[in-house]
Amino acid sequence: MREFLYTCLIGLISGFTANAQSQYESGMNQAFELWQMQKPVEAANLFERIAKAEEDEWLPYYYAAQVNIIESFSMTDKSRKEQQLKEAQDLINQAATFSNGGNVEIDILQAMLHTSYLTLDPSVYGMKLSPVINNIYNEALRKAPDNPRVVLSKAEWDMGSAQFFGEDPKKYCDDLQTSLALFDKTSSVEQFYPAWGKERVETLIARTCKSN
Amino acid sequence: MKLLFYMFLFVFGNLSAQQLVNGKVTDREGKPIAGTNVYLEGSYDGTTSTADGSFRFETTEKGQKTLVISYISYVPFRREMDITEMRNLKIVLREDVQSLEAVVLSAGTFSAGDNSKASVLKPLDVVTTAGVAGDFIAALQTLPGTQTVGEDGRLFVRGGTAEETQIFIDGLRVFQPYTASANNLPSRGRYSPFLFDGITFSTGGYSAEYGQALSSVLLLNTIDEPDQSKTDVSVMTVGAGLGHTQKWNKTSLSFSTSYLNLAPYLELVPNNKTAEFTEPYQAISGEAVFRKQFQNGLFKAYAAYDRTGFEVLQPDINSSDPIRFNLRNKNFYTNFSYKGRMGNGWSLNPGVSLSRSNNDILIDNRSINNYENAANLKLNVGKRVDNRFKLHFGAEYLVQDFSEDYHAQEEVNHYLEVKPAISAAYAEADLLFSKNLAVKVGVRGSYLDLNDELQISPRLSLAYKLNKGEQFSLAYGRFFQLPQINYLKYDSQLTSENATHYILNYQWTKTGYTLRAEGYYKKYDQLVTFNTEEAGYGSHFWNGGEGYAAGLDLFFRDNTTFKNLEYWASYSYIDSERKFRNFPKKATPNFIANHAASLVTKYWINNLRSQIGFTYNFSSGRPYENPDSEGFLNERTGNYNNLSFNWAYLLSRQKILYFSVSNITGAQNIFGYEYAKNPSKNGIFERKAITQAADRFFFVGFFWTISADRKSNQLDNL
Repeated sequence: MREFLYTCLIGLISGFTANAQSQYESGMNQAFELWQMQKPVEAANLFERIAKAEEDEWLPYYYAAQVNIIESFSMTDKSRKEQQLKEAQDLINQAATFSNGGNVEIDILQAMLHTSYLTLDPSVYGMKLSPVINNIYNEALRKAPDNPRVVLSKAEWDMGSAQFFGEDPKKYCDDLQTSLALFDKTSSVEQFYPAWGKERVETLIARTCKSN
Repeated sequence: MKLLFYMFLFVFGNLSAQQLVNGKVTDREGKPIAGTNVYLEGSYDGTTSTADGSFRFETTEKGQKTLVISYISYVPFRREMDITEMRNLKIVLREDVQSLEAVVLSAGTFSAGDNSKASVLKPLDVVTTAGVAGDFIAALQTLPGTQTVGEDGRLFVRGGTAEETQIFIDGLRVFQPYTASANNLPSRGRYSPFLFDGITFSTGGYSAEYGQALSSVLLLNTIDEPDQSKTDVSVMTVGAGLGHTQKWNKTSLSFSTSYLNLAPYLELVPNNKTAEFTEPYQAISGEAVFRKQFQNGLFKAYAAYDRTGFEVLQPDINSSDPIRFNLRNKNFYTNFSYKGRMGNGWSLNPGVSLSRSNNDILIDNRSINNYENAANLKLNVGKRVDNRFKLHFGAEYLVQDFSEDYHAQEEVNHYLEVKPAISAAYAEADLLFSKNLAVKVGVRGSYLDLNDELQISPRLSLAYKLNKGEQFSLAYGRFFQLPQINYLKYDSQLTSENATHYILNYQWTKTGYTLRAEGYYKKYDQLVTFNTEEAGYGSHFWNGGEGYAAGLDLFFRDNTTFKNLEYWASYSYIDSERKFRNFPKKATPNFIANHAASLVTKYWINNLRSQIGFTYNFSSGRPYENPDSEGFLNERTGNYNNLSFNWAYLLSRQKILYFSVSNITGAQNIFGYEYAKNPSKNGIFERKAITQAADRFFFVGFFWTISADRKSNQLDNL
């Protein structure tokens, strides 16, 4: 009798929770809020908790990695930065495992991770990582030519390399315009699917392509 | 009624009274750790520890749960307990000793690789150094502990002869690492740096995995996975090269070929009289690497073939006519290796290398024709017990078959053959006691079949980290090596020579800076001696020699102080004497300079899109034997000076124009003297200086890379 009652109650309670926002949705939203509130460590930790609890979602791993990578760019302590990137690499590997292969969003993240590594000491990692990064972007562009983030990230990387080699980065402005147009065309299909980048394109265009 | 009460309690409790989990995270010294991820495994419930290390969160979970606390570079904490017990927890996280900040065994070792913790050199440095002209051996000669022996070109480490350094590709022995060359003309490393991405150069105290080297080992690793498919074309004043890498899904193939011919160059810039080429140096070479990725491993096959030929006239103090030296060399080397992960921390690494080389030499009317077939079979097994304890052990078999035919018109002809085989086994343990203390203990046993000799060599190294940037390392080891084939071919009963190393190393690193100081003492014993002017058929050989080498090596590197400028400086002091070969008594051999220093600079000029570099090498005078003076090896040559320059100009991203000149100042370096066998009429021995073949060497090359991304170039191969 008691057992029966308990079962009923538990059924009732879980019904309640399901009715409202799902746990996954509220968790993800909370993590994004933390990120917006300039609490990247807390946000990354929550994304990671969600990732580990859900077990088969690639997005929380993706965002946990992304937060770590973005934060790593401004880090100056070399060994800490190296450790953080190692951590991010594990998260990327997990994301790749749970995504259905060939995910260009993860490829972009991987290229960004390498770029952050490269900034650690360009003279050490530049020669080795530049071709790796080039290769990732070329492959990503081949797989998903209409993904605005692929076009944007590749153009931004190309502009950086052009600057390094004393060339005019403006020759990649067309790519930025293409990316911007693609942002306007694309609408997100999956909830929480990566949608970042439009503001970045606009900033880059304003900074590099609008002068004189 | 009771039931209703329970129901009420349950519903109400579930809505409002959640369980509290709280506590504090510190490290072992009690310092709070902020930013740790604290959560109940399998749930969303958790939080991030605050600046004082404390955490608190509420959960609806019940009963036995696993609390996890994780943080970068610490071992994650996990414990299963009842939620109600998760109150006022005091949690101490242990540092992960495998993390990048851990101490590294560094005594005796220089490595160039991606791994920033152990690398003193970057992979590129090996080849972008002025005066090196693509020879990675020459780049290593800017490191402390090496000697510049200008007329030889090979690696001489800490008082050892060139034969005391062994070279390994992917862990397997290389048998003929240097290009063929004539007496007193320098040879180069045979293998192009193009296919390697990791180089470890140990000047002593190395792992038990490596044997048959008294002084030093140089470990080269071929690239595991190439970045992309590309073609490299080069056109140089001395020849041309073509390389290609093709990448497929799980496999890739790289090859690199080159043809060198010094004829056009010698027309423009003739050599000194010391080396007049009647048939200019010509070499054709090809190398290839094939790689295949498996689910749990990587297979690599490497092969290299080259042919060299030249004829040179060299003046000789004992004859009025110069001596004609004609050489034909053919060399083939291949190795196969597999690195496999077996699960549960086990790894398996079998490999085999095979080599065949042939020299056809004519010295005036004497002819020497020799063959060497050699093989190295090796199996290395590793077991990672945990982050603090790793074990590896293995066995190897090394066999050489050397034969030589010697013909001289009026002299005796002879045929010599020797086939030494060595079986060896080793075991080594890596222990990390803490992030600050690491120890490696190993032992190697080897058996030489020629004379039933069994040798046991212990190895030990230890590193202790004082603080974030400073550490001390110690190394000790005993090393055995088969006598050179050149002696063994006359007397196969010679036993192994041996050396004992004691090394103390101090290293200081800070972002952009590295300082190393290393003191060592090395004792030699059982060195081969003989009783004739030259080692030959009639000589009597025995293991009667011994000696020592003691010294201090300093190295400083700075990539930070000046913008776009990188430089490193090294200084070596050595005191060494030995009795070996046909020395009448203990003396400092002619390949040792007491003081050696070098300065390497590289400067990137952005608006010229150029990297320019200067390298300066200095050595104090080297001993030579003057039969006119008292004593043995008592005189010293003048100091050695060499200033080299290189300039790599990026025409576009994929086209590079490269220019280099060695010995800009044209310093007249003298490496030693050759004395006449008999005194002249006035009782004095005539002599001839051994000098550089050319005062300066100019090199101009054009390098073009063709790849899909149009961005790679060959800057890293120059």
